[in-house]
Amino acid sequence: MDRTDALRLEHVRRQQRRHQNSGELARLRREMDKTLRPPGVHPDRSLGITRRTFLHRSLLTGAVAGAAAYGWFPLLNTIELAYGAETFSFAWISDTHLYPKEVNTRFVEKAVRAVKEVQAMQPPADFLIFGGDLAQLGDPVELQLGNEILKELTITKYFIPGEHDWYLDMGATWEKLFGTSPWSFDHKGVRFIGLDTISHAPDYWSAKKMTPKERMAHMATLDSSVAGAWAAVGREQLTWLDRTLSDWPKDRPVVIFSHNPLYEYYPPWNFWVRDWREVHEVLRPFTNVTNIHGHVHQVLYNEIGTLRSIGMLATSWPWPYAPEGVPPLTIPMVRVDPGDPFDGVGWGKMTVRQGERVDYEYMMWRQDVLATAPWDAGTGDNINQILSPRLADRMWPYQ
Amino acid sequence: MRRQRRYWLGVLGGCLGLLLLAVPYGQAHKVKHTPAELKAFQEVFLEQVRLGDLLFHGDAETERQLGVRLSRTGMACAMCHPFASDTHPHEFPKFQEQMQEFATLREMINWCIENPNEGERIDPNSPAMKALEAYIYWSNRGSKLDPGRH
Ligand code: HEC
Ligand SMILES: [Fe+2]
Ligand SMILES: [Fe+2]
Repeated sequence: MDRTDALRLEHVRRQQRRHQNSGELARLRREMDKTLRPPGVHPDRSLGITRRTFLHRSLLTGAVAGAAAYGWFPLLNTIELAYGAETFSFAWISDTHLYPKEVNTRFVEKAVRAVKEVQAMQPPADFLIFGGDLAQLGDPVELQLGNEILKELTITKYFIPGEHDWYLDMGATWEKLFGTSPWSFDHKGVRFIGLDTISHAPDYWSAKKMTPKERMAHMATLDSSVAGAWAAVGREQLTWLDRTLSDWPKDRPVVIFSHNPLYEYYPPWNFWVRDWREVHEVLRPFTNVTNIHGHVHQVLYNEIGTLRSIGMLATSWPWPYAPEGVPPLTIPMVRVDPGDPFDGVGWGKMTVRQGERVDYEYMMWRQDVLATAPWDAGTGDNINQILSPRLADRMWPYQ
Repeated sequence: MRRQRRYWLGVLGGCLGLLLLAVPYGQAHKVKHTPAELKAFQEVFLEQVRLGDLLFHGDAETERQLGVRLSRTGMACAMCHPFASDTHPHEFPKFQEQMQEFATLREMINWCIENPNEGERIDPNSPAMKALEAYIYWSNRGSKLDPGRH
């Protein structure tokens, strides 16, 4: 990275900090972080993400040439993950949001492409985690289509649901096809956990006598307030998590998959779980926890206490960054070209290195993933933007 | 059906209200306004915001009523622009890279209808366009005017 890039990056970060470090939420986060981070532990130094990324890019010319054949460029970030027993990788795909084939073929093409690329990984991934929102409207036809597409992948697959998979038939088709969650397994020295953060919505439909389709439609609208604060881990699952971790040494690595982020980013779009404080209480004794989540359809990175969170891309379409709450540790992704359906989307690859680290790569289908200048950043371009929550979703016909 | 009738009655009621309150043509601004008049103006505006919100969120019934087809992919504007974010109405007019042209907000709305949405472009002066514009501006109100920014 040359000097001008470094200066621009610093500028992006400074602007972000100015925007995000003010206000009640930032104060709360700092307080949480202070309470939860053990003495002597500092935020991850590798958070010069972009510096490393550029470094890796220049070192990786060989690998990039190979990758170019697939049309993506690997970008690496390294985070410490102590005591992994051997090197292995796994892949993440989520947020395919499939409609029935006749309605939208682009989403099908992108899901198929991601599956093909994961299948072609060399060395092969040990497993795939599908992170939810396979379907757009929870339609059994959509879920079945997703099932067919994912069948092309012969490695072991694990599934957690997204809200779009659930609220037509309250998870009946999903669970029949992909089983129940939460679940947990140990793999090569790491404990992996899959959570269900989507099925705990307060009942917003019975009193209003909604049909299953209406219930699903409200849930499927990100900026609707009708479904309320639906994202949660829930009391029962928190107890399960606590129990599941009770026999695991506190300093050994834990990787938790969830559809929603496990911290408060932007509640109006349910970019959080409402009981994130309780989740952090349960995880508090563990010094090496990585949360990998979907739902936000964008590049995100955060740390609270010793929990690091990584937000993954969708294959379907990217969301803009929320108007507030983007963690200052996030290096924003680039602005997306609305004319290119393959822009701003992709899948993810995680490599657990022997003894030490998890590398994660955003397999975005474009050349540059992370922004270096504010005018190219998904956050920096919104410097003069002030948004208001909707009125109409509190009026007929939504109410 | 009943809802639909209620909706049109609402629109009609709003218009009638305005008619009753309206000062004779040519006298606007020459007399002081009553709170009731201001409220009526605001109601007309908010009704457009509501219609625009429905269109922006892919409401099929509103599209039918206004005779437009904004998308063929199943996707609505709001799926990529929650709270109308990233539509940047305060930055127009500007050079629009996608079109390689100096463009207005209305032109860019049509571009997004035709490209990501694969829908049918609408008359720039149509009721649907005005409603979309009303919703986008309302959602971004308070943003700093910044014409020309990329
Ligand atoms: C598939 C996603 C997608 C859909 C659907 C979509 N847009 Fe866009 N739109 C974008 C992206 C991405 C941009 C570029 C944002 C940027 O430049 O940062 C954009 C840009 C815009 C802009 C111009 C913003 C600027 O500063 O250049 C307007 C206005 C707009 N969209 C309106 C709409 C409307 C109205 C609809 C529905 C008819 C719509 N969009 C549907 C993705 C989408
Ligand atoms: Fe999603
Ligand atoms: Fe989701």
